[in-house]
Amino acid sequence: MHYEVEIGGRLRRIDITRSGDDFAVAIDGRTRQITATRIDAHQWSLLVSAPGKSDTPGRRVTYDVAISVDPAGALTVHVGSTPVAVIVNGRRRWGPGDKRHDGAGAGSGPQRVAAPMPGKVVRVLVAQGEVVRARQPLVVVEAMKMENELRAGRDGTVSEIHAREGVSVEAGALLIVIQ
Amino acid sequence: MRKLLIANRGEIAVRIVRACREMGISPVAVYSECDRAAAHVRMSDEAYAIGPSAPRESYLRIDRLIDAAAQSGADAVHPGYGFLAENADFAAAVRDAGLTFIGPTPEAIATMGSKTAARAAAIRAGVPVVPGSETALDARVSDAELVSLAASIGYPVLVKAVAGGGGRGMRTVHAPADLAAAVRAARSEAGTAFGDSTVYLERRLVRPRHIEVQLLGDLHGTVLPFVERECSIQRRHQKVVEETPSPVVSPALRARMTSAAAAVAKTVGYTNAGTIEFLLDEDGRFYFLEMNTRLQVEHPITEMVTAQDLVHWQIRIARGEPLDLDPAALLAPHGHAIECRIYAEDPDNNFLPSPGRIVSLRTPDGPGIRDDSAASAGLDVPIFYDPLISKLVAWAGSRPLAIARMRRALGEYLVTGIKTTVPFFTWLLAQPEFVEGRFHTTYLDEVLASRAGRPFVESSDEVEDVAAIAAAIHTALSAPANGSHGNGRAAAGRWKTDARLEGLR
Repeated sequence: MHYEVEIGGRLRRIDITRSGDDFAVAIDGRTRQITATRIDAHQWSLLVSAPGKSDTPGRRVTYDVAISVDPAGALTVHVGSTPVAVIVNGRRRWGPGDKRHDGAGAGSGPQRVAAPMPGKVVRVLVAQGEVVRARQPLVVVEAMKMENELRAGRDGTVSEIHAREGVSVEAGALLIVIQ
Repeated sequence: MRKLLIANRGEIAVRIVRACREMGISPVAVYSECDRAAAHVRMSDEAYAIGPSAPRESYLRIDRLIDAAAQSGADAVHPGYGFLAENADFAAAVRDAGLTFIGPTPEAIATMGSKTAARAAAIRAGVPVVPGSETALDARVSDAELVSLAASIGYPVLVKAVAGGGGRGMRTVHAPADLAAAVRAARSEAGTAFGDSTVYLERRLVRPRHIEVQLLGDLHGTVLPFVERECSIQRRHQKVVEETPSPVVSPALRARMTSAAAAVAKTVGYTNAGTIEFLLDEDGRFYFLEMNTRLQVEHPITEMVTAQDLVHWQIRIARGEPLDLDPAALLAPHGHAIECRIYAEDPDNNFLPSPGRIVSLRTPDGPGIRDDSAASAGLDVPIFYDPLISKLVAWAGSRPLAIARMRRALGEYLVTGIKTTVPFFTWLLAQPEFVEGRFHTTYLDEVLASRAGRPFVESSDEVEDVAAIAAAIHTALSAPANGSHGNGRAAAGRWKTDARLEGLR
């Protein structure tokens, strides 16, 4: 089976051949032997062979991995305790009940910036039609006595502003859309 | 004392439940709408609903808490920290209802809750406060008087609005020549912002450390201080890492700071658990900052190095028991303890709160590790409260070993479904400034600003390869019953097809 997995803007092409718990995985053309044992619905134990031409071809490295969908709907693979955001076959958003919805993320399509918690809009930092860069602060929401900056997930243009300064918002309220 | 109502939630409520169990006291929980299935409810003997999820409609409702206490027949109330823990009216309401409040008297809470009254108490006790003008300075004070006052306080001096807040109406002055202009500007700004143009002067401490002293006072006049806690690692004035002992406090300085703390507490007849906070300057001079009239979030590190249980002592003191402890032992730490406050926040997105459902949870364990938490897989971190998931504490025989142990424990910590500050702590505990103990209260904000949002998680190519492989295998093998991966059935079907094709080859 063929998969395309994008991590941090880099695409890895993966071909998997299965034999029970054992997998031959070609990752960008280099084949590695994997044993994958399922722990529960979200967690796996992997034994991974050293890549390609290794000094120690018999070496088997153990990894505990856990797979989940974060609040923004992105698929996250924890390798040990290190979270890695992944995009599988171009799919950016996963959600409860598997409803597809476009939104925040580093990809194409509109980015919908929503309030992550109930609070009050303190400042709107961008204007309609403004060109914004990834990580640029867009709006400041005060919650639990802390001011929280919501930032652009990627470069784009502000197409909609629903946030109004001084107005209280519920969790999930749409504040800004970036095209 | 047979039954104790815990007027709180989260990890501190669980902490108090545990102390109750150990002491043969029946714990009673209260809960808001979103906390019905929270750990503190399930671990208690009884539980009472006190209203909607918003704190002001539940955990801050004195009337409902007193009603729940009456309904349960509890004879004592523990406020935890936060919420109503430093509310003198709540302590008084508990007392007026004929119940025992596990904490200081309402009078002590009120006195130490006022910045000026607390400062006055410290001065009465002969304890240094941050040098400053004792009275407000209005427009009638001449420039010459200002210069002479500033000279007696010492430069750099802060000009602060009496009614101030949020940095407005505040100026730093380094030399007498700039003083008059700065005072005029501050008065003007303060007048516009707060409708009160009076200002006062205070020495601006350069790169101070935040050092605090835990103490206990019994009902018989004994006040005992504990070895200091170092709490200088702060983000936007919020503590994120605490440790004890401080890497810069010598036994001689400890003796002076702890006896100063005890003197302040005795001046106000303080009882039960409390903490005196000091600023420590680069020359080793310390100044009273304020008193917290409650159990602190970071109390576990003190417990780890002194082998005392502070919640047990809070309850024992409230029952009238004397503090029969060896004072010297409380000032001689056994080993070193560090606490990381693990929050549901996204460190790679400016620490934005990341509430939501925890999918998987694996907590660290093993030698020297303590995890005070109320989180569990399958439950939400609610949006309504402080998003603290856990207080992870590492104890070891020395500071370097405690850091190594904490790093090991962070590597074991797995929380999926939400973002946490675990990757941030993994980064912080590797910083040379932290490892060498060279930091102050603005260190973290400065270093975070200089990073300009660079991600804390910098995974290696190998880790990314493994993540990609795992994602592909998981996607291929996940059944459709797993709601997150709707293509499972189709994938399983393809597996059969692929397997058959391979068989034909």
